[in-house]
Amino acid sequence: MKTFVCIKRVPDTSEAEIKIDPTGKGVDSSRFSFGINDADNYAVEEAVLIKEAGGGTVKFICMGPQDADVMIRMALAKGGDSAIRVDDPRINYQNPLQAARVLAAVIKSDEFDLVLTGCMSSDDSNMSVGVALAEELGVPHAAMVKKVEVGDGIVKVQRELEGGLSEVVEIVLPAVLTIQTGINVPRYSPIRGLREAQRKELKVLKLEDLGLDENSVNAANSMVELQKLYIPEVVSNAEIIEGEPEEKAEKMAAKLVKGGLL
Amino acid sequence: MNSEIQSFIEKHDLLGCIQCGRCTGGCPVTVRTNLNVRRFVYDSIDESMLDELAKLPEIWDCTTCNTCAVRCPKGLKPVEVLIGLRGILVESGVIQPTVRDALESVFQEGNPWDKPKATRMDWKDGLDAKIAEPGESVENLIFVCCTVAYDPKLQGIARNLIQILNKAGIDYGLIGEQETCCSSEVYNLGEAGLFEMMVEDNTELLNGYDAKRIVTVSPHCYSTFKNQYPQLKADVLHYTELCAGLLKDEKIVLTKELQSKIVFHDPCYLGKQNNVFDEPRFILSKIPGVSVLEFDRKRERSLCCEGGGGKMWVETESRKERLAETRVKNARELGADILAVACPFCVLTLDDALKAKGLEEEMKVADILEILGEVAG
Repeated sequence: MKTFVCIKRVPDTSEAEIKIDPTGKGVDSSRFSFGINDADNYAVEEAVLIKEAGGGTVKFICMGPQDADVMIRMALAKGGDSAIRVDDPRINYQNPLQAARVLAAVIKSDEFDLVLTGCMSSDDSNMSVGVALAEELGVPHAAMVKKVEVGDGIVKVQRELEGGLSEVVEIVLPAVLTIQTGINVPRYSPIRGLREAQRKELKVLKLEDLGLDENSVNAANSMVELQKLYIPEVVSNAEIIEGEPEEKAEKMAAKLVKGGLL
Repeated sequence: MNSEIQSFIEKHDLLGCIQCGRCTGGCPVTVRTNLNVRRFVYDSIDESMLDELAKLPEIWDCTTCNTCAVRCPKGLKPVEVLIGLRGILVESGVIQPTVRDALESVFQEGNPWDKPKATRMDWKDGLDAKIAEPGESVENLIFVCCTVAYDPKLQGIARNLIQILNKAGIDYGLIGEQETCCSSEVYNLGEAGLFEMMVEDNTELLNGYDAKRIVTVSPHCYSTFKNQYPQLKADVLHYTELCAGLLKDEKIVLTKELQSKIVFHDPCYLGKQNNVFDEPRFILSKIPGVSVLEFDRKRERSLCCEGGGGKMWVETESRKERLAETRVKNARELGADILAVACPFCVLTLDDALKAKGLEEEMKVADILEILGEVAG
């Protein structure tokens, strides 16, 4: 199995104080810690597990600056073979369709059976790059995957649906799967493994190396434009509904109808 | 997994064990877990057992308190066998997510708490605290510790130290955002490669200052710097040693009274691992109004609080009473109204135990620096 895994370096904003930067279109990240996107970490592990079970190769793709190299090396130490980092300021990373175009260009330049991405990045939360990537590659996809079984020329996957339900799908390879967190337990990459991973290939590419026209991936030609970021205003507007359960339900329903929510 | 059997037997001198069982007999966690350290020493001699032994959950019950090593009549270190077995697991990559995250955080952010480097010095906000420049001559280079720097419950300990040193007019300097984990817990969790790397980086960082001594807030940093950093140029002191000296020289003046019965809990990494027993007691005895009580299990026999040995990231499955709870109960039985400690991990475990036992109204857990902060002029 020749597998590509797309990984992204993201800030950990779980406890951080978020401040909008002076441009009004970005976040001040000077006091954040960064690491691999959570769902991508599970995708890395799943790819390595597939390789360990049936052989093949695992290659990582990342878009971003050199700061991402530590994260890439950590992924390589877990069992990857090589990695490509696309580092070009002309790319509009904020548009998931354009990001997918860049990733697709990397993958198309090689042979592949399977592409794994995390189902969502924790910074932008678009949940779009994986499926857009499948479209760019012209291959089928399954999103929110929480179990993968590799067959002969196919993968049988379980997709997470709402309400605790799962959907089981068989997909003909090559295909793209967007991996949900919890599918496995990502391993630790010990420092000794990390030192060995320093010897693995990590290529850094620009748009020209991928044969991509700047106009297909830059902000000037994006259908998505980020106009403004702002911190939502904190308001307190809680109302406690009193009464017997039936009475409460009635009052609640009336309010929901009045508010246009039902 | 790697089974380096020759080096494992030789490294831990396993053939020197006479199976007397004093290690297990003295091990404090045996009262609540299935850990039998003697058994691990015995079984580790068999090459084929190592990988299987490393998978047994008991190896994570050890708090690395060092009682087994203190009591071994042959001078062996059974605790190191357990750390070695943890290392086999770490090298395989298949470890508990909490341990994985702590180790990755040390590698990426220089602390095991998944906190950004950039916020490491937030604890000193609003405080007149001096940060030393590399190369600068400084008498006391203060090493704060990750847990104290980031845990809001513990930050007051570091703040008190700075205020005390400022008042006493002592020459000191903080390291600032460049301060990175001493990696005591990295070692205990079995990540020998990362520990080696951190020792190298920290030695370069700390030797970059012209410091007379490095003063640590945590006994874990203290013990590690003292015993596992062979190339450090400066002397290493725990803050209790520094403060005891400053009290003797009357540079710290205690102006307020504290009518309290205080019992001191010896942190394993200060007491039984480094024989610092008298300084904390000396400090407490100098506080006007304080009467110092003693546990039955004190000094070398002190009961571990279960905070070290990576236990901050690995929960013991046992439902039996935690040793910290036993300790808190014993303190109350003695009539203490303050359970004094000199270690951030002890503060956390004993304070949790205090709440679990519902004793918050009758007694409090405090680091000696918190007590000193109240009474120093």
